[in-house]
Amino acid sequence: MNLETFQNRVFPVKNKLFRFAFRLLGSSEEANDVVQEVFIKVWNGREQLEEIQNMEAWCMRITKNLSLDRLRQQQRRPTDSIEKGMHVQNETKSPHDTIEMTESMKRIGELMARLPERQRQVMHLRDIEGYSYNEIVEILEIDMSQVKVNLFRARNAVREKLQKINAYGL
Amino acid sequence: MDSDNIEQLLEKYWNCETSLEEEQQLHNFFRGGSIPESMKDTAELFRFFETEKNKSLKENFEPAVTKQLRQRQGGKIISMVSFANIARIAAGILVVVVATYFIRQEVRKAYPQEAQDTYTDPQMAFEETKKALLMISNSFGKAKKEAGKMKMFNDAEKKIQTKQSAEKARI
Repeated sequence: MNLETFQNRVFPVKNKLFRFAFRLLGSSEEANDVVQEVFIKVWNGREQLEEIQNMEAWCMRITKNLSLDRLRQQQRRPTDSIEKGMHVQNETKSPHDTIEMTESMKRIGELMARLPERQRQVMHLRDIEGYSYNEIVEILEIDMSQVKVNLFRARNAVREKLQKINAYGL
Repeated sequence: MDSDNIEQLLEKYWNCETSLEEEQQLHNFFRGGSIPESMKDTAELFRFFETEKNKSLKENFEPAVTKQLRQRQGGKIISMVSFANIARIAAGILVVVVATYFIRQEVRKAYPQEAQDTYTDPQMAFEETKKALLMISNSFGKAKKEAGKMKMFNDAEKKIQTKQSAEKARI
């Protein structure tokens, strides 16, 4: 595979990889490094790329593994630095909208960051990236029932907390 | 889509029973303006999902990575470990070569080379050699002459010794 084909096939998923790494690591700098690492890894193994059926899911899986490796190395919780990443580029909203929404967005971001790791991963892949359950199974290397249980728990945990915050300001 | 339908879809959504298409309908609904007050919390959550979906890498990411990939295009990359090993061996060889050079210089200074051949003309060289050999020969001749004198002394000493021993025997 030459560089041009690689750019056309692999580069379009870069932002999805970045967002997933960011969700796991809570730092845009580190997420950026992970995506670079993923691309280099995929490029080095480009000979086997033809055999891979779902390249995007495969790249997402590498992103997950590299991000978790980093977390293990650092032995820290990603929630500590979640606010640092809030300055990441936003393509569609105007500065005015961004300021208005920042508070509630930040609050939900924090709620999501406090979810257990697996629930956070499943919720991100389904609700933000719109992956099918089968794709999530492939990316996270877990079975379908685990995907559904984790998604159910994640959605309902966020819903409950959000209702409490809005009702009682908790 | 009316609020009742949305309520039903949301119920399915919280139970994880919605399809991707149905979830897309919810996203579209909450993207719109007229959201009932009862759905404010949920609308906030869906807005969060939308916002998150728009986060992207910095613009300079792609050129930077392309540059890195181009450098690796040649095939196998020499890992830093093997590069370090090669560098170590090269440094060792360099040290040996430099040390040999300096030691040789020192040795040359300590033992200067003997007089070099100064003659280019063979005839002249022959004459010079002949002269040198003659000089040695003359010296040998002189030495022989002197050695002859030594022999005379020796002979005289022997004669005296025999004479003395003969006299001792007579006594």
